Amino acid sequence: MPEYLDFNSDSDKFNQNKRFRLRLYIAFLFTLILFAILIARMTQLQWLEHERYKGLAEGNRISIETLPPTRGKIFDRNHILLADNQPVYALKLIREKMENIDSANLAIQVILNNVEPKRVHDFFEKFKKRNRSKSYTLPFTLSEEQAAQFSVISHKHPGVTLSARLKRTYPYGATAVHALGYVGRINQKELKNLDPKEYRGTDIIGKSGIEKYYESTLHGLPGIQQIETNVRGRVLRKLETLPATPGEDIHLTLDIKLQQFAESLMGEMRGSIIAINPQNGEVLAFVSTPVFDPNLFVDGIDHKSYNALLNDPNRPFINRAINGRYPPGSTTKPFMALGAIENNFISPNKKIYDPGFLVYKDHRYRDWKRRGHGLVDMNKAIVESCDTYFYELSLDMGIDNIHAALSPFGFGEYTGIDIHGESKGILPSQKWKKEVKGKSWFRGETIISSIGQGYNLTTPLQLARATAILANRGKIIRPHLVRSHKTETLDQIEIKKISNWEKVITSMENVMHSKKGTARKHAMHLPFKMAGKTGTAQVFSLNAGDYDAETLDKKLHDHSLFIGFAPVNNPKIAISVIAENSGSGSKTAAPIGVKVIEQFLKIYYSDTYYPEQDSVNQREN
Amino acid sequence: MKINNIQTQQVYRKNKGFLETIHIDGWLLLGILLLLATSVAIVYSASGGDEAVMTRQIIRIGFALTLMLLFAQIPPNILYIFTPWLFLLGIIMLISVLLFGQIGKGAQRWLDIGPVRFQPSELMKLILPMTVAWLFAHSQYPPSVSRLILGTVLIAFTGSLIVVQPDLGTSLLIGLSGLSVLFFAGLPWKVIFTAIAGVVLSAPIAWHFMHAYQKQRVLTFLTPESDPLGSGYHIIQSKIAIGSGGIDGKGYMGSTQAHLEFLPESTTDFIFSVLAEEFGLLGVIGLLMLYSFVIARGLYIASQAQDNFTRLIAAGFMMTLFVYIFVNIGMVSGLLPVVGLPLPLMSYGGSSLVTLMISFGILMSIHTHKKLLTK
Repeated sequence: MPEYLDFNSDSDKFNQNKRFRLRLYIAFLFTLILFAILIARMTQLQWLEHERYKGLAEGNRISIETLPPTRGKIFDRNHILLADNQPVYALKLIREKMENIDSANLAIQVILNNVEPKRVHDFFEKFKKRNRSKSYTLPFTLSEEQAAQFSVISHKHPGVTLSARLKRTYPYGATAVHALGYVGRINQKELKNLDPKEYRGTDIIGKSGIEKYYESTLHGLPGIQQIETNVRGRVLRKLETLPATPGEDIHLTLDIKLQQFAESLMGEMRGSIIAINPQNGEVLAFVSTPVFDPNLFVDGIDHKSYNALLNDPNRPFINRAINGRYPPGSTTKPFMALGAIENNFISPNKKIYDPGFLVYKDHRYRDWKRRGHGLVDMNKAIVESCDTYFYELSLDMGIDNIHAALSPFGFGEYTGIDIHGESKGILPSQKWKKEVKGKSWFRGETIISSIGQGYNLTTPLQLARATAILANRGKIIRPHLVRSHKTETLDQIEIKKISNWEKVITSMENVMHSKKGTARKHAMHLPFKMAGKTGTAQVFSLNAGDYDAETLDKKLHDHSLFIGFAPVNNPKIAISVIAENSGSGSKTAAPIGVKVIEQFLKIYYSDTYYPEQDSVNQREN
Repeated sequence: MKINNIQTQQVYRKNKGFLETIHIDGWLLLGILLLLATSVAIVYSASGGDEAVMTRQIIRIGFALTLMLLFAQIPPNILYIFTPWLFLLGIIMLISVLLFGQIGKGAQRWLDIGPVRFQPSELMKLILPMTVAWLFAHSQYPPSVSRLILGTVLIAFTGSLIVVQPDLGTSLLIGLSGLSVLFFAGLPWKVIFTAIAGVVLSAPIAWHFMHAYQKQRVLTFLTPESDPLGSGYHIIQSKIAIGSGGIDGKGYMGSTQAHLEFLPESTTDFIFSVLAEEFGLLGVIGLLMLYSFVIARGLYIASQAQDNFTRLIAAGFMMTLFVYIFVNIGMVSGLLPVVGLPLPLMSYGGSSLVTLMISFGILMSIHTHKKLLTK
């Protein structure tokens, strides 16, 4: 054998192997000794002390039960309840204790007359394969009547018990669903990232909106209870208890009455309304339509209803307020004008002649008014929404100066609102196009950018925030939905000449109140002065995936936009309205915006603006 | 001489069975399969007859066995070349866990790479012993002091990266797996005994640096009755489960402690208690004999290995396996403090099974590639 010869010829290596093997023997001996210690320990537990532990096991009547925390409630700003916990009845099943599983299945199918029998049956099919000794809750709630029906026959079905638990309910239904969000059953993915200790006994979690963002605040911490049971597992008495810490209640900045009013104004239209208190960033109304009922999701929505919502061409799940990206259209003009006069690209009094179009590189950029506006200064350009004026201006400024002037208002950036899923929108610049599209900027694109078309995309919330910052004369605010949400002190946009700001704001006031203003007919009756700007955004391109012959025509209609705030000199509310494919801004969005502002001032400032009315009637609580 | 060699190789080829052609060691495989079969049965019982849980465990076992087979095909000299790079990679991953790891269940242990989410510390269980073995691959008995110091530094560095996650239990066990290789490499007895004395004396200092939850665990271990609502409850219930099993157990599926949900984590960390309750002392002895058989076979492979690198790896892996078995059983029977640690080849779960089976694959590779290595 060559191996053997090798060792003989090299006594050093032989010695090496010998010493290694010695250590192997020692290690194995060590292993055996420690295993022997384990066996000794087991002998002690299982043989010598067996009687004692057997006794303990039989009398093992102290078990630990988790007390799930009560989820915090959500209120509106006037302490009106928006998300509540209602006691409901449910059935708990333990397979080990059940005598006839099929008869229980049938009995439950009969009692749950509002649920498709197949869904109960499907639950039972799954249940049969799961842990025999664990208790599972039937995912359907029982009405009080059904609970009573079951109590009558419960003695025939051991292992099935009626239990009361708290179920999340949203008394206002679909109202404000995109702000409030909803809870649903914890899924596998969420489970992985949760602390199992904190969620023991809890099977729901915030899925969207406030319910998700403030999950840790709302959830609370579970408690523990020692329960003494008899051998068959029946509860004899409750011993030591560590009570659960309930989740904290949350007060929103929303006014649910204003919210309902605003939603009703949207009717069947798709779109969004955002109302903000410009002084502190509190969101007063947060509308995204169409809406859906969050109550459907709490106990798990059935496939049919879910698919119906998911495939609804109006896309109710999309939170248009923060995730809808729209060309801002002419609502961008006040910000453009302010940027131009603050940075001395034009004097507010300088007049430009508008023949109804601008020619640049053989291309004719048309004004919305075919015959043109004639001689136009800044005020007239905003009041009549003259496009040519801004086309000219944009060529003087260039896209990067426009970007620099508009970005302090928060265009193209997250607003930082306290719900998830916000979109950034787009405020284009040369750098942006290079990075995202990989192409150089064309000056023609600057021209269409100046009237909020082209690459420009903004969310309704961004638009409302920018309006609020303008109303504030440059004080930056961060929109938020929860009253106690702490916002850091934010900057003030640098003001070069305050009169420039006042001039732009006066022009916006003229949009509403002067003879030529695009929204004059909607604001005539108001007892206060407001500022506003209408916008009509062309829908340039269609998403190829959304192509649908029947709805194509409608989807090509213009978006209708409006921004505004009131009162002009002491702004209490700033607003943005976007109604998809609903025509011109002055026709659709402006009256909605005016009504919401009016309603708000009626509720909160009736003494000042509506002294003849009975204020008690208007104000809740 | 040359002719002789060719002849021996031919003789060797003729006797080579099917298993050896695919680089599988039959005895080791037998032991592993017996343990895994037991695992499936106990997991099914501990989960209260949950078919979904059992199916998932079987799928994991299939996956892990495939990995074992794959790793058995890699010749040890390839492993030798890659070992330092693997170590570098492992260290980088441990550091990235600290920098941008997922915080799961209170500690930062997970790393997300695309669809894969894993614990780098789990891979370190394999890489660290391999690295120390690599370090001593060409070393003589007794090894030089500088090499021993370098080895200790590597182990301490790796351990400290895991301690700060924070995961004291894993870090100690991984440290031990590295130290066991040092032992086989010929760490002088003098040093061993001095180190043990040092650890005992420095315990009070370690106490000072522990996290609150770790201190709590030690305190609970010393007096489980002081915390009957928390982790002390686990130990009490586990001891009741084991003790009530008696000598011949309550029979398969007969664990009342697990089924009435007195026993926590019955499919994972406390699976031994279910086995002890259902199969009694005899079952426990049987299980430990199976484990001893696997370890003995592994150590035999180490004794037959023909170079320092492979035999150090083989011996180191077996000692790591042993330590995990001992610590888990010691914990559930109240001999050691509660550390969240699965029982090798028994507990429900994937990640520790995967690393274990890879280590068995490497062991088989060492045993079956040996003849090719001599020349």
